Amino acid sequence: MLLAIGLPLLGFLVLGLFGRRFKEPTPGVLASALVGLSFSISVYLLFVGGERFALADWLPGIPLALSFDHLSGYMALVVTGIGFLIHVYAIGYMAGDEGFSRFFAYFNFFIAAMLTLVFADSYPVMFIGWEGVGLASFLLIGFWYADWKNADSARKAFVVNRIGDLGFLLGMAALYAFFGTLSISGLKEAIEGSLVLPAGLGLVGLLLFVAAVGKSAQVPLMVWLPDAMAGPTPVSALIHAATMVTAGVYLLARSSFLYVNLPDVSYWIAVIGVLTALYGALSALGQWDIKKIIAYSTISQLGYMFLAVGVGAYWIALFHVMTHAFYKALLFLASGSVIHALHGEQDVRKMGGLKKYLPRTHLHGLIGALSLAGFPLMAGFWSKDAIITATLTHPFGGLGFYLVALFTAFLTAIYAMRWYVLVFLGEYRGQGHPHEAPAVMTVPNDVLAFGATFAGFLALPEPFWNLIEPFLAPALAEVEAHPFGLWTEWGLILLSAVVALVGLWAGYTLYANYFKKKLPEWYRAFERAALEAFYVDKIYNAFLVNPAKETAKLLGFTDRGLDATYVATASEVGALGRVLARLQTGYARFYAFLILFFAGLFVLWGVVR
Amino acid sequence: MTYVYYLLLSALLFALGAYGAMRRRSVLLLLMSVELMLNAANLGLITFARAWGSLAAQGAALLVVALAAAEVAVGLALVVAVFRVRESTTVDDLSELKG
Repeated sequence: MLLAIGLPLLGFLVLGLFGRRFKEPTPGVLASALVGLSFSISVYLLFVGGERFALADWLPGIPLALSFDHLSGYMALVVTGIGFLIHVYAIGYMAGDEGFSRFFAYFNFFIAAMLTLVFADSYPVMFIGWEGVGLASFLLIGFWYADWKNADSARKAFVVNRIGDLGFLLGMAALYAFFGTLSISGLKEAIEGSLVLPAGLGLVGLLLFVAAVGKSAQVPLMVWLPDAMAGPTPVSALIHAATMVTAGVYLLARSSFLYVNLPDVSYWIAVIGVLTALYGALSALGQWDIKKIIAYSTISQLGYMFLAVGVGAYWIALFHVMTHAFYKALLFLASGSVIHALHGEQDVRKMGGLKKYLPRTHLHGLIGALSLAGFPLMAGFWSKDAIITATLTHPFGGLGFYLVALFTAFLTAIYAMRWYVLVFLGEYRGQGHPHEAPAVMTVPNDVLAFGATFAGFLALPEPFWNLIEPFLAPALAEVEAHPFGLWTEWGLILLSAVVALVGLWAGYTLYANYFKKKLPEWYRAFERAALEAFYVDKIYNAFLVNPAKETAKLLGFTDRGLDATYVATASEVGALGRVLARLQTGYARFYAFLILFFAGLFVLWGVVR
Repeated sequence: MTYVYYLLLSALLFALGAYGAMRRRSVLLLLMSVELMLNAANLGLITFARAWGSLAAQGAALLVVALAAAEVAVGLALVVAVFRVRESTTVDDLSELKG
């Protein structure tokens, strides 16, 4: 297990220190191979049944513990599996870039940090990984740091994440105060064994939730994720869609033993989740940047996962993490191929008709979009439908959640179709000749497309098989669900299938020949608002960022004023010294005169007095 | 009343010495001017010792004589040392240490 973390870390060190000496594809191949090895190790560990590693006396009550149980194994497979595919893809995407080896060094560092986060069996260890992935995210968003905008985006992501990290730290402190330990398995025993829980436990739940909100870009801390698209596309796929942003969901699932005892906090998690899902879906409808559409859809899908965690359907949240990782990575990599083909063009208004030029990528995009939209029998359909149904069957759910989630599913289908139609259908609206991506980029997409199509069959509703729930059950808290009868359940499934299909149809009719249509004014107004993501950034700027900037300016001004005073005083004293120094002529006779003169003056003073 | 003449002589000698110390450029003459001032002070001291019959002032005069001897010894040694380096005994040449 240490090897699984250590190999990517080794790759980071080797590439970071000596990367410049390797020729072009070597760093990418090396990095990919190491992540592939990590994947094989994870598979092997899963078959031998897990592993534990602990240094008991790291700090009092805080063991340096890693554990490979079903939950962390599942997550590790997603991270290393998807990570491997994206590494391979990046060999093609980053070809010819100046920072080729630097890119793969960061990528390997990210995988190592993410695995630390996943394997951690005590919160401080998890926090190390948590900060590690944050750092990797910062470095990779600002990968093309020469452009001022990219560096700004990186800083924004880092600063917004700090708010969540503060929640994590305070949550750990509170847990330590209550239980005297931060070992996750220890805490689990303590909480499951105690009859009366400390009154402040809700606060702990809330603080850890704040951490998850920051990392997973939920309302109100979602503003950093769309800007994070400034990084290279494989980064968006790996970090800001498939793995890192799901760390918040993972944290909540890891702490499920805590949240199952906190109905109030769980309720708020579900509220935030469903709000985020709706917000992301609405904002996605107004975007023109091919990657930003998918970024907002990521926010929306993360909202679904939080909704699932909130209502108590922990395994479903993780199921959605996996299917989402497949189809979202696929969508991002397909976008990457499109951007690659159009030499950096990201505006969908200048695309269209790419079906003809990029047949393979078109297929990938279609599969990804359908899976995202919840087209029946695709992976996204099963997991999203499971979440929507869970809002009714699980203890912390409710009808309101169900309706909003269903409506959001409808919007999801529309914007997925919008993305697909604007990019691939219609007539080509740009200049230049698009060319299909090389095999090193299309083959990973083939694998992802396979996953995005069939991954859902791992967990089907009753009466079919469900492999994931019993597999994850030992690591998650037990929740008493009240499943519906078969007829009701399949009726609901049919309903969401119909909703998805209607959404797809609506999206197609709305956006086919979109640029020749005359649309009603209210829809144009809505689109403008959605393009600005409903002005959240502007509001934050007006109420938080600009006042902070003004304060900083004022303080800087005061500081400069003080500085100037000191400098001026010093220079005045210096000038005085230079004047007085003229008295030191160096002539002994002059000194003798001065002595006599002042001695005479002294005597005179005595006489006069 | 006769003491006044002694004191006037003392003051005159001191003024001569001070004038010499400020005007002369030769180190040797400078040192001699300083000697002159010291001995003018001595004359004053002795005069007051006579006038008040005080032994303390005479002791002070003896002390000044000893000090003057030491001063001349050190001063001449410095003059010799400076002359070896500079080949000159003019004080105005020794004006490097200015502000």
